[in-house]
Amino acid sequence: MTGTPVRGMVRSPFVLVVGAVLTWFIAAFLVWPNINVLIATFFPDGSFSGRAAEKLFSSQRAMKALGNSFLLAVALSVTVNLVGIFIVLMTHYFRIRGSRILFLGYASTFIYGGIVLAAGYKFIYGDKGIVTSLLVKVFPGMDAGWFSGFFAVLAVMTFATTTNHMLFVANALKGIDYQTIEAAKNLGASTWTILRRIVLPMLKPTLFAVTILSFLTGLGALSAPQVLGGRDFQTITPMILTFTNSPTSRDLAALLAVILGLATMVMLSVMSRLEKGGTYFSVSKVSSELQKQEITNPVANAAVHAVAYVLFAVYTLPVVLIILYSFADGAAIQTGQLSLGNLTLDNYVRVLTQQSGLRPFIVSVVYSALAALIAVGGLLFVARLLQKYRNWVAAAFEYLLHIPWILPSALLALGLIISYDHPNPLVGGAVLTGTTVILLIAFVTVKIPFTLRMLKASFASVNSSLEEAATIMGAKTLYVFRRILLPLVLPAAAAVTALNFNSLLDDYDTAIFLAHPLVQPLGLVIKANTDGAEGTEGIANTFVYTVLLMVITGLTMYFVYGRSRRRTGRKRLPGSPSVPGTAGQALPGAPAPGEDDAARPAAAVR
Amino acid sequence: MIRLDNIEVTFGDFTAIPQLDLHVRPGEFFTLLGPSGCGKTTALRTLAGFIQPAKGTVRVDGKDVTRLPSDKRQVGMVFQNYALFPSMSVWENIAFGLRVRKEKPTDSDRLVRDIARRVDLSDEQLSKNVAELSGGQQQRVAVARALVLRPKILLLDEPLSNLDAKLRHQLRQQLKDLQSEFGITTVYVTHDQDEALAMSDRVAVFNKGVVEQVGTPQEIYDHSATEFVCNFIGDSSALTPEFVAEVNRLSGAQLSTDASSYLRVEKASLAAPAEGGTAVGLPGTVVSRTYHGLHSRYVVRSHGADVRLLVREDGGAHPQPGTEATVYLQPGHVLQYHPASGSALRNQDEAVALP
Amino acid sequence: MRRFPNLVAAVAAVVLLAGCGSGAATPAPSEGGPQSAGGSGDTLVVYTNSNGEGRGDWLTAKAAEAGFKIEIVGAGGADATNKLIAEKNNPIADVAFGLNNMYFSQIKNEGALEAYQPSWAGDVDKELGDGETYWPLVKQAILLGYNSDKFSKDAAPKDWTDLWTKDAFKSRYERVTGLGTATAQLVFAGILSRYRDDSGDLGVSDEGWKQVEQYFQNGSPAVAKTDLFARIASGEVDMGQMPSSIIADREKSFKVNVETVIPSVGVPLAVEQVALVKGSKKKEQAQKFIDWFGSAETQGQFAKQFNSMPVNKGAQAQANPEVVDFFADLKQQDIDWDFVQENMGAWVEKIELEYMT
Repeated sequence: MTGTPVRGMVRSPFVLVVGAVLTWFIAAFLVWPNINVLIATFFPDGSFSGRAAEKLFSSQRAMKALGNSFLLAVALSVTVNLVGIFIVLMTHYFRIRGSRILFLGYASTFIYGGIVLAAGYKFIYGDKGIVTSLLVKVFPGMDAGWFSGFFAVLAVMTFATTTNHMLFVANALKGIDYQTIEAAKNLGASTWTILRRIVLPMLKPTLFAVTILSFLTGLGALSAPQVLGGRDFQTITPMILTFTNSPTSRDLAALLAVILGLATMVMLSVMSRLEKGGTYFSVSKVSSELQKQEITNPVANAAVHAVAYVLFAVYTLPVVLIILYSFADGAAIQTGQLSLGNLTLDNYVRVLTQQSGLRPFIVSVVYSALAALIAVGGLLFVARLLQKYRNWVAAAFEYLLHIPWILPSALLALGLIISYDHPNPLVGGAVLTGTTVILLIAFVTVKIPFTLRMLKASFASVNSSLEEAATIMGAKTLYVFRRILLPLVLPAAAAVTALNFNSLLDDYDTAIFLAHPLVQPLGLVIKANTDGAEGTEGIANTFVYTVLLMVITGLTMYFVYGRSRRRTGRKRLPGSPSVPGTAGQALPGAPAPGEDDAARPAAAVR
Repeated sequence: MIRLDNIEVTFGDFTAIPQLDLHVRPGEFFTLLGPSGCGKTTALRTLAGFIQPAKGTVRVDGKDVTRLPSDKRQVGMVFQNYALFPSMSVWENIAFGLRVRKEKPTDSDRLVRDIARRVDLSDEQLSKNVAELSGGQQQRVAVARALVLRPKILLLDEPLSNLDAKLRHQLRQQLKDLQSEFGITTVYVTHDQDEALAMSDRVAVFNKGVVEQVGTPQEIYDHSATEFVCNFIGDSSALTPEFVAEVNRLSGAQLSTDASSYLRVEKASLAAPAEGGTAVGLPGTVVSRTYHGLHSRYVVRSHGADVRLLVREDGGAHPQPGTEATVYLQPGHVLQYHPASGSALRNQDEAVALP
Repeated sequence: MRRFPNLVAAVAAVVLLAGCGSGAATPAPSEGGPQSAGGSGDTLVVYTNSNGEGRGDWLTAKAAEAGFKIEIVGAGGADATNKLIAEKNNPIADVAFGLNNMYFSQIKNEGALEAYQPSWAGDVDKELGDGETYWPLVKQAILLGYNSDKFSKDAAPKDWTDLWTKDAFKSRYERVTGLGTATAQLVFAGILSRYRDDSGDLGVSDEGWKQVEQYFQNGSPAVAKTDLFARIASGEVDMGQMPSSIIADREKSFKVNVETVIPSVGVPLAVEQVALVKGSKKKEQAQKFIDWFGSAETQGQFAKQFNSMPVNKGAQAQANPEVVDFFADLKQQDIDWDFVQENMGAWVEKIELEYMT
């Protein structure tokens, strides 16, 4: 598989066709627009100016915020792993009473995130929060504002971003050969030793992959620091967003984005390398299914149960409160005063009876679904080829396809506008601005890096002898692809499609620049109805939209995961690549610098 | 050495083993044989302590270990796929149990190297990753890992089932040699009768959770206690009542024509036995002949029964399909079983007593 | 394996739904269903940052009554500005309104606006717009408000600078955490304009920058998604910046009483404008719409509905008298908007980089 010569690659007509389409797509939608926007920002008058770097590096605040972002990234890589591994063990490894309920609670991060999540935590632990009020009664001397700063941001983001663990680490865990655990037991290993010496080492590759994601999430943190960071813990992303919106400071935004983008790439390559060194393919040909482990020590068992349920409360309370508060009026939400008598359907009536009504929901669902399907459909071919052919051409293509991870989506959108607001031969002389197509292109583009990584990993898990067998029987490349490979990667593809779909639903950054005026997606409507400057109803609307989005994303996840879980019983989840540790196997959410919702499938209102 | 008394194993509503009594003697190579799903692996796992029986006791060396966890029973186990820890080197795999027991590192290393030498693993192999080893080497690591803790019993769960035929034969011998060298009481699970006959001191044949017969390989082969065992072990042809009646007529024997009757392939021949004796010959037609190099397999139809038999290829002339041939057998070699209970009819009285 | 076809089917169903739904769901603006490309048909595309709190829906309905089919695209002030500039080669919008003079002069400098004199040009104070491309609609005062239950008029601050020079107000006022909003930029325009010094950094004297530094050092940072009035109600802070139009409404929502400070130099006024977008394919229709929208009648109704302060003299009769009186007494701060517009980008950058802690 390694080092397929380029000459051999170009002999296949399949490769040539996919290659030609891919080359055009990359040139037209990844390279050209972004080169345009970078030239416009860094060479405003045709000559390069080092102004941006000079300004940035002499700004104490920028450097501190950048430092905070990196600090958060590193800390989050540790804490998310701790909590993530714990909840995965609770739901999938140990025999815990009510683990299905626990699963639902821990999985709540699948369906919401962003600023509302941060707000949810504030309702509970903030200076007027429920828990704080209780604590103050018990310890009158304590500081009501205890839940702020680095610690609070880290805590909230830790609990908010364990989604990847629930998806990918849980799946890797199921792939472990149970006999190895029995063998260790037979040799006298304790529960703890088995976990530490047998189970965790085998999860290492997947843990590396999700660690990358946690790192990127921390780097792009936005709403949690804004809500809970206080004066001392602000991060760089808000600054990037401000500068992106100011034409005179856009070079600063681009420079910061490039710095984060480079950090992202460095992290990716380091982790890929680490993974290569420590990938453990199961030695055995058959493996037996994992069985839940009893914790024999009664004290430990009680303690673990207690922690599991405390975490369950931590995960579930914000969701419950958000749903409750979505029925309260805006003033009650902001002052944190909730009384059951004040709950009405008014907020929902107001949001759903606007003139635009359900239309934005439909527009967003269609756009997101189309974009998710096109991205996955197209990249199935590309991922297959990149996984099969390993040479410099393939490597170059792969790197180019990661461009959308480097720039924030607002800059990507601006690039598309300035490149296609006039007839351009790259797209057959058409003008794309003002059409419904341009937003679709942007949506597809944004989802490319994540989709590619996931699909490549999933192809890597396909036993190559299957393909060889079909080829020997005379099947043509496309036929093999369609009949043999596709059915095998389809579950993973469906999961990626769902995650992409969810994350695009409430997009604002791209849509604001590219949406067709008559076909406006949800993100724009949410923004118009929720901006803080626009009245007390705004915040209430935010909650309503969040709950409505929870419903849609919840349904999506149910269609992809829930039903198959039921059908296949305790079999592995469909979506996830089953080979432990293919470089960068699981990278949900495009961690475009500038989104702390990056790794969350559903990024609710930002 | 090992006693399973009155064991019952259930999984929810499903009863895997209704009632099981087994006794394994010290130093014995004891095999649990049966088709898949027959409960043999369940019995082994009950013995290993991975499954708690609903009823009954497990004793090792006279001590009741029914409630003890696996590692307190002094049993070592080799798994079907060896269950080597992929994240560890060969040395670490073997040393795992020692490290868990907090042996001194120097002692551990000595014990690991000692056991490795005895199972023919080189020092170089000890530092390798387990994924780099061949199937045979992996098996030796698995055995070494189990034996380094000096267990009283070695349990082997179909360790040869995933290997190709040649390697299987080779490793079968390797396992047997290791067992005799260490002299350890061994319980072996397999569905392969060849393996069971070739390796075991005694065999327990399982069917649907029940032990049909326990005995030496020869006992279960020559004196299969039940129709199931007879069918499962060796290769035999089913005889028709007409065929049996003809045997009775020719020999004066009093075989039951109501029982299920079988004849092992090697007990029938196309040539009249030299000593003559009680052998009788039944005329029939050759249905097929398959050449196997050392011998040919024949199917001869006589009195409604397709009798299978082996003929040694010695270069002589042989009857071709379609031609007439005579099947010779001794009435005493006909195996008869109660058609309802499946148990063997040991004597003429039992045969007469049949309805 | 059967999941995928299901998904495709679901998407297909949704696409069909969208086709049918668009006509039914939005009867007013786009009766004819979705249009495939461009703002085709005779629908006017209107960009605005002033569509929240039902304004967009209200305007769409009123325009339909007057025979205009419009589609409102809402975006924040900065976003709308960037969008108009980015699209200047092939504009999608026909009309833009709601942005203040700072934004519009930026757009005008990029050559994205078309000169047009509305029929009501004579009824408004030309000085408030540029008298050429963008024309004033609504006045908005950017005020410093304080909790009048906690501070009497005498004890209250007299000017922004009091906030950080007097200990009583330190940490009691909310300060911004970002300069992305128009309101925040206007507050700084008001402060920095006082310290204009062409030899100073970015046209502002060191003393002026010191004020900015003090403002950030002594204020309580704003909290995302928590309204200033909510913080006042809970006693976290007692004062902060607020645009005039929201005060009455939020006093009610949060049950607080707020008074405003009128500094001796006056109050910065934000004036929301309307303009014709250059390159509009429905120029004539767009001009008619602007004539209608800025007319005394429409502005009067708008003012009545949303408690705003119309610039059109003919409309003021219909506006809330309290609002009209407030603006009548209000001393407007004299700000050189050209100077502000020229430097605002750099000011924001400097403040973000150097002063915001």
